[in-house]
Amino acid sequence: MRPKSITRDPYLYIFLAFALYPFYPFLGNFTSLGSELLLFFIFTLSFNLCLGYTALPSFGHGALYGMGTFGAALTFLHLTPGLGIGLSILIGGLTGMLGATAVGWLIRDKKGIYFAMMTVAFSQVMFGLCWRWDEVTGGESGLTGLSRTSFLGLDISGSVPYYYLCFGFFVVCAILIRIIARSSFGMTLQSIRQNPVRATYLGYNTGFYKFLVYALSGFFAGLAGALYCFLAGAAFADIFDWTKSGDVVIATLLGGGTASFYGPIVGSLIFLVCKELISAFWENWLLAYGLFFVLIILICPRGLLGLITDKDHTCGISKEKRES
Amino acid sequence: MSLFINLFVNGVILGLLYATIALGFSLVLGVSGVLNFAHGVLFALGAYGYWVLKDFMGFWPAMAGATLIVGVIGVVVERLLVRRVYGEDPLFGLVITMGFAMAIEQVLHMIFGAAAKTVNPPAFAQGVLFLGDMMVPYYRLFVALCCVVVLTGTWLVLNNTAFGAIVRAGMYDSEMVSALGHDLPLLRTAVFALGAMAAAFSGVLASSIWSIKPGMGGAFLMPSFLVVLIGGLGSIRGTVLGGLIVGLTTSLLSLVIPRFVDIMPYVIMAVVVYFWPRGLLGKQNILE
Repeated sequence: MRPKSITRDPYLYIFLAFALYPFYPFLGNFTSLGSELLLFFIFTLSFNLCLGYTALPSFGHGALYGMGTFGAALTFLHLTPGLGIGLSILIGGLTGMLGATAVGWLIRDKKGIYFAMMTVAFSQVMFGLCWRWDEVTGGESGLTGLSRTSFLGLDISGSVPYYYLCFGFFVVCAILIRIIARSSFGMTLQSIRQNPVRATYLGYNTGFYKFLVYALSGFFAGLAGALYCFLAGAAFADIFDWTKSGDVVIATLLGGGTASFYGPIVGSLIFLVCKELISAFWENWLLAYGLFFVLIILICPRGLLGLITDKDHTCGISKEKRES
Repeated sequence: MSLFINLFVNGVILGLLYATIALGFSLVLGVSGVLNFAHGVLFALGAYGYWVLKDFMGFWPAMAGATLIVGVIGVVVERLLVRRVYGEDPLFGLVITMGFAMAIEQVLHMIFGAAAKTVNPPAFAQGVLFLGDMMVPYYRLFVALCCVVVLTGTWLVLNNTAFGAIVRAGMYDSEMVSALGHDLPLLRTAVFALGAMAAAFSGVLASSIWSIKPGMGGAFLMPSFLVVLIGGLGSIRGTVLGGLIVGLTTSLLSLVIPRFVDIMPYVIMAVVVYFWPRGLLGKQNILE
């Protein structure tokens, strides 16, 4: 990249803003919220590879996130308590990828609603498994005692060092995801989104591409989940609940993931902050939360960035792709 | 052996109830292409409506009243919300109905409280039928009978009336139905309202078997999914078959693997969908 294009790059400003997060007055007291935001960014960016780039309506992404969480937690508790969390995080990512590979192979040729239904069913299976198989997953009481020890020899037990670990993962994942989205692989995905039939006739194995992007997306989602379990210090079966999948969908749609690459980041920021604020002040926050979903779809179905960006430069779902 | 027979009978009754709940979900999905996540909450609204009305008017009028009220709510929801997402990505319909469902569930929570409410079966259906080793509460037989009536009625209407012919054509190709001069928006509203009424009716029936709580719909939304995926979209016989498979699986497998019984329907669904992508008896439809 030339220097000029770097200064125009939105990523630069996002990274700069979050690099200083723990030092902002007032915000610094909410370092763990900041870490959660960063993880949610990774999660929604990975989800948008499916929704925004390939038009795969995955409604089971929470399950991949949860698999990452439990994969990492189990690895940490049974294999590497003394070795730090690096390996656990890697295994968490791979667990998410494994889940996505298994279900992705089964449903790679499903379209639209069938794809959505199958992913919902998958997340329900994971929820049931996690809830009932309590020798391994702790069932209702979950897994606790995930103390952050060290990462590659660095002490990360404090909340600020852990924030920077999450920040590091976010920078790497965000750059990787954008490289994927802008590569020829990403272009193929967009062509599949715009017209799967034409992409097939051009010789692309669309099912295989969908499978690949789902697996890749599962890896990043699992990674975010793995980092989350060390942030929370515990892993509970609730993480498989479908509201988690709802969170990621609504955050992506809110920001305009279908209209812009950066939509998921904007959306997650607004969504998570609003959710924290409402649930802190109002007991019946689920009412506001539900109405939030409805209003977003009614008022700006293309998301906030969709209101701003030029219609011709969409990378998103458009009506014509439904025809095929 | 007697345990097996009892579980089998319970499984069949549960399966018929599942099929009735899934019926509305399946019709809305088929005609409008919307994954209606509000189906569960319409079911719960039916149960709460019945709970409110039954003290004033007795069983039959309360049942009819609750069903009709939810039908009207269905019309309003379809006109105000669901209509906006026709032809969009399925995720939009899913999210908007899910948001509506969460909001209404919380409203039920605010009005009626979190505590579960129990309802006795109506006077004419109290008691238990003993047949040798088998014992079935009369109320469950009544529920099974109601489900059979609803399912058969829907099957007859779909196959023998002009309205049914339009609905079936709408499942096959809704744009062509519109091009032939039928009022597609009206058809979709009607189907949504009928689906809501079927959900509410099942909610009324289920309220005397299980208890009434704000989240009760959630436990029946996922089975509706499974029934549609296993049985196939656009076929009443498929819906009944899917319902029976899900009901019998949950009932009978509790003998063998009690802990993982709630996952087994999903496993069966995965196997079915892998080999029969349209479900066991599904027909070609607008989703393909």
